[in-house]
Amino acid sequence: MPLSLPISVIVSTCNSGGTLREVLAAVRASDLPPTSYEIIVVDDASADGSVAIAARYADTVMRLSGRGSGPAYARNRGVELARGDFVAFVEGDVVVRPNTLSRMLATLNERPDVDAVSASRDDTSGASNFISQYWNLLLRFGEQRHAGCAQFASGCGVVRRTAFLAAGMYDEWRFATACLEGVDLGERLLGAGKGVLLSSGLRVTHLKRWNLGSVCQEVWRRSRLLARSLGYIRMSAAAPSEVVFTLSRTLVPAVALLGTLLLAAAFVPSPHTGARVAVALLALILTNFPAYRFYARTRGFGFAVVSAPVHILVQIVAAIALCNGWILRDMLGDVSPDAATQAYSEVGLEIWPPVPRRL
Amino acid sequence: MSSAGVDAILFRELPSPATMTSQDVAERSFARQQERLLGIAVASEVRMGPRRTPRRSLIVVLPDNHVLSPDLVSNCFPPEGDSELVDVILACAGQPLGIAPLQRRVRDLQVLLAPAGTSTEDLRELAMSQAPGDIVTLLSGIPV
Repeated sequence: MPLSLPISVIVSTCNSGGTLREVLAAVRASDLPPTSYEIIVVDDASADGSVAIAARYADTVMRLSGRGSGPAYARNRGVELARGDFVAFVEGDVVVRPNTLSRMLATLNERPDVDAVSASRDDTSGASNFISQYWNLLLRFGEQRHAGCAQFASGCGVVRRTAFLAAGMYDEWRFATACLEGVDLGERLLGAGKGVLLSSGLRVTHLKRWNLGSVCQEVWRRSRLLARSLGYIRMSAAAPSEVVFTLSRTLVPAVALLGTLLLAAAFVPSPHTGARVAVALLALILTNFPAYRFYARTRGFGFAVVSAPVHILVQIVAAIALCNGWILRDMLGDVSPDAATQAYSEVGLEIWPPVPRRL
Repeated sequence: MSSAGVDAILFRELPSPATMTSQDVAERSFARQQERLLGIAVASEVRMGPRRTPRRSLIVVLPDNHVLSPDLVSNCFPPEGDSELVDVILACAGQPLGIAPLQRRVRDLQVLLAPAGTSTEDLRELAMSQAPGDIVTLLSGIPV
């Protein structure tokens, strides 16, 4: 057994039993030479038999007990076991194409100025329901508008191990849930003078099934954490394709346009209620027009029409969550784990699984 | 029937009386006394308590017509004396061949016998269900 390998593929999973088999089979079907990589699956306290599926494909399986500490924590534990000079992160619901990992590796080998490269999502979603399609396209829209930007996507990304360690690894202290940890890592890599690339030519498929509730919850968590912990202005420059910016960027012009149109409508004698509603809708449609045009182009006009009210709802959730995050930041400060974790960390308790580390 | 869909037999290789050292005898005697006095449940609870380091397991899978490679035994298995730090499970389809070096090296080797023809993936899954480790490394033999 060689002491080091070109690449270690770390798959973090938490109750991803429904998709894990396909994900790991896709990694095994990669065109990388079989002896050039290892698969490390880190199971973050799943209760759905993910470990049994992982055992069928992985070289190493790490079982974390407890209540689940999040993908940032799980991936960091995986890196601690990894023997590769490069570390690939693949989410438990992301399917790579046969040449995805080899192309990422080739990019890093050919371009010494790039230390981390990640793949964009493709237009297709593993789940066929409308909301999954909508959410996948919304994220894809952001990535397409800012193609080639210096941003790290945790769904599928490869990073030089030395650069990853030098940047301080994932922030497992603040990101206890799957939310913006990749954005934060990318920003720290950039801050350390490392090259980060979100490649538009590399595509992966996300299999996760979403519903309206889970989408709103995801938008709420992302927006709130962005406003409270990472800083909206700072991150809008570092990670422009983040979905929170896709949703919130149009809010200010929408409100301004709506105000202007309503002010203009006030000069019209006794405007009809229907006219007022039409004016409001027109303002929202105009500001979101690029997104609707993207939906229409990829899924058809009917899809764009149906997605319009969902998009407005999600924007409202993002706006409220951003305000909530700003208020919490002023009142309570940055995000921190629960009191027990802080206390264990304070006394330096040595235990397995380890207490989340502060950066 | 296991979750992997195969019946299997698990047994643990223990050192024969001729190869047991006085330390082995003392440890076994102590374990028996502990189980008698405290009961198995309490003893296992003590074993399951908080740990400072992860427990490691090593699974070696030998499907039909596969054997252990000498390199694998020399490189991947803990040296004699350190074998207690890692739980080693050998999962075989049918009767295993050429495992003597492994038996010599690993004192508490667990051997999992599945019917001949059991696939590598099923053997891996089956062995995983028996592995107690937090970190489980899975290795395969080489074709004959």
